[in-house]
Amino acid sequence: MGEEVKRILGIAIPLIIVCIISGVALTASYDLTKGRIAAVEQEKITESLAIIFPGASFTETNEYYSATMGGEEIGYAFISEGKGYSSTIKTMVGLYPNGTISRIYVISQSETPGLGTMIAEPDFTNQFNGKRIEDVRLRQDGGVIDAITGATISSRAITDTVRERAEVVMNETR
Amino acid sequence: MKRDELTKGVFKYNPIFYLVLGLCPLLAVSTRVDNALGMSVGVFFVLVSSNVIISLFRHWIPSQVRIPCFIVVIASFVTIVELFMHGYAPELHGRLGIYLPLIVVNCIILGRAEAFASKKPVFNSFLDAIGMSIGFTLGIVGIALCREVLSTGKIAIFGYTLVPTFTQSPSVMMILPPGAFLTIGIIMALINYRSIRKEGR
Repeated sequence: MGEEVKRILGIAIPLIIVCIISGVALTASYDLTKGRIAAVEQEKITESLAIIFPGASFTETNEYYSATMGGEEIGYAFISEGKGYSSTIKTMVGLYPNGTISRIYVISQSETPGLGTMIAEPDFTNQFNGKRIEDVRLRQDGGVIDAITGATISSRAITDTVRERAEVVMNETR
Repeated sequence: MKRDELTKGVFKYNPIFYLVLGLCPLLAVSTRVDNALGMSVGVFFVLVSSNVIISLFRHWIPSQVRIPCFIVVIASFVTIVELFMHGYAPELHGRLGIYLPLIVVNCIILGRAEAFASKKPVFNSFLDAIGMSIGFTLGIVGIALCREVLSTGKIAIFGYTLVPTFTQSPSVMMILPPGAFLTIGIIMALINYRSIRKEGR
């Protein structure tokens, strides 16, 4: 009996020690990088706001950012988030008060490299510029946005979440 | 002797073409040259760290639980790489996205831990890890070069265009998984053809 316990402990204790060391190392790296990561994420939002409405200043409300330039409200910016093909696609969207999209900018996504990732490139995102909210659908769904060949799911995901969030924000601001 | 430990991973026992390990990330990430380079950096760091640590503790780890121990060590290093990359190289982190955690299941790393680091001294394991990473890098970047040229008609690394667009109708198939299988198959066939001819002489 005593021998058996010794044998089992001889196997278990090294594994426990390895797990404890790794736990400590992970906690330490998490703590070290936590502030940096939060700053990077905030930086991304600030950066994308500046791309959507260059030179404007922003005030944050619950649902959206209101963009003002020279004391005048020029539009709204908001983040739309939706499930793509293999990741959550996070997009910053700019909206003019008359209900047209100013432009969109993809903040983060992990779609299929080389295919789904093309939704983040200007060739795709520029299609949204100046479009009315109700027209923001893929062409095959009765809208004006051309899907990326081989990445219809990613294209539809971003297009539909942008439109849905834009409708919500538009109703909020009325 | 020492030199062999380093160079064997690059040519003789190339992890991709000879050992045929780590194909899962290879298929997924070899669509673009810059993604392939990013993945290689991650694999390099994790492979070197885990090989050295596992070799250091090889006498203390009971053989019955060696695999769980290796996995804990490797998974910890991958998570540490991901956290630091997120904080300090957010651009690369965004590109590699879901593939970074996949380094954990990269068979090269567990394979080298099991086959080499758990039996050999630290310095040899260190050299082995460097050699294997270079071999992996050569393989994945080579395949990514072929696939990027054929699927986009150009090569651009981190925004710098190396080969300008030469065709307006590139083959989309090359960027999809079948393109990766085709490329790997053809390169492997060429290597085997060469070594068979060499032996024949």
